Amino acid sequence: MGVSNIPYIIERDFRRFYRYRWWLAGMVSMNLADLFILALVYTRMVRFDYFKFFSPGITVTALFAAAFMIGREVNWEVRRDYYHYLLSLPVKHWELALGRVLSGGLRGMVYMAPLLLTTFAFLGFPTLPQAMLILSVLFLLALGVSGLGIAMAASTDSFEKFAVMRGVTYYLLFFCSTVFYPLDLLQSLGERGVIPNFLTILAEVNPLSCGADLIRSFLLGKPPFHVNLILPVLAFSLPITAISSITYVKILRRRA
Amino acid sequence: MLLVVERDVKMFLNRKILLFMRALWFIAQISLFGLIASEMVIIPNYFEYYASGVVIILLYSTAMYIGYDIYEEAEHGIVEYLLSLPISRRELAVGRSIGGGLRSVIYVAPLMGVVFILIGVGDPLRLLVAIASLFLFSFGVAGLSVTLAMGIKSPDKFDIFMGVLDALIVRLSTVMYPQAFIQQANPAYGWIAGLNPLTFVADLFRWGAGLERYLTFNPLISVMAVMLFFSVFTFIGIVFYERKLEGGGWE
Repeated sequence: MGVSNIPYIIERDFRRFYRYRWWLAGMVSMNLADLFILALVYTRMVRFDYFKFFSPGITVTALFAAAFMIGREVNWEVRRDYYHYLLSLPVKHWELALGRVLSGGLRGMVYMAPLLLTTFAFLGFPTLPQAMLILSVLFLLALGVSGLGIAMAASTDSFEKFAVMRGVTYYLLFFCSTVFYPLDLLQSLGERGVIPNFLTILAEVNPLSCGADLIRSFLLGKPPFHVNLILPVLAFSLPITAISSITYVKILRRRA
Repeated sequence: MLLVVERDVKMFLNRKILLFMRALWFIAQISLFGLIASEMVIIPNYFEYYASGVVIILLYSTAMYIGYDIYEEAEHGIVEYLLSLPISRRELAVGRSIGGGLRSVIYVAPLMGVVFILIGVGDPLRLLVAIASLFLFSFGVAGLSVTLAMGIKSPDKFDIFMGVLDALIVRLSTVMYPQAFIQQANPAYGWIAGLNPLTFVADLFRWGAGLERYLTFNPLISVMAVMLFFSVFTFIGIVFYERKLEGGGWE
């Protein structure tokens, strides 16, 4: 027993992931349309190659959406009292919590993989150490996002409240990041007072920005690689993974 | 029929969370993406172009929502209740189509007002023509959504179809970028955008707001295209709803 139960939880969550194949297909088409239509047109409208710039951004976007999706399932389980069944399983509660966070993260990685390969195909392949670093950082990011989704989902038995929390998180993390626009542009807008300075700071420390910029630093050379591209992801993901696992179990036990 | 329209409008306005989220999306699109992207692109005053396009995206997506309502009714057994009401199938079908379009215009109107405050308004007469075309467009979109929902009768397939359609119809139109740039990116994209109803209605909205310099087509052509879209899809939607409502077959 012990750690060996976690793979069962991951397997279960993966099986459930493919039950959402229609939703996933819709999401894939959205991501591809963003890349092969929107980014190509924007390339003609800006002074740099937006397609190359945006490709890592859409990869991180896909990772976020797929990893966060486990929250939707957890919220459903809370609403339908399904957690009674989960808590009754011969699995330690910490295993259940860690298994859920891990499976959410792994699902994000699996969903993101074709987009990351597309990015490599168009922007060039990184060296093996660079690829290892990219995958490690993205996995950490996926864990953090999965944990965030689970913590939010378990904290409310109202789908509406969860939808609001999810929406606000999405908009805040996506629009205040370097997924869509480069950091130097945001900094210049901040200096000119077009946008508030805190948005620039938020974009700088946003883990989604770091994930996208890490890929860009190796494949495009801009922004240059720096340890600051990794630290915010660590600072976001490690505490959130731990806190969300504890929160998940505590909330479920309290409800039961 | 008015009761059918009223019911659809009320049902939609009761979805407070959905409406709140759409409004939040709209605000984020305009105040963050629109503002920042306008500093990134080479088009002068791109903000006004983008903000007017976001209104059309919002109108389209809210009008499309009627299809999801139809599935929800089928899932909860409300279709049988609707069929038992003392109204004809045709009245029900026409009412749904009108209600689906009307509620999206009612919802988008205040947000449209915000955009007009931000970008200004041109000739009031043109504005009236533009708003009338928005009405026709949203009725047509509601008809399209009803047609798809009744034709597919499977919520999963409908969901993916809507996802793909939404991804393509918005991006392959001039709501976010002018036709010249779409054409440069890929002539096939430009060709599709030239036939896209979102392009025509976005053109009319910009014309009504006094942004003539961005027009793709002569406004008369756009008016005719929107009228054609409205006529075809409202008619097909009504026929499909009327004929396919009975007999079950929902997955």
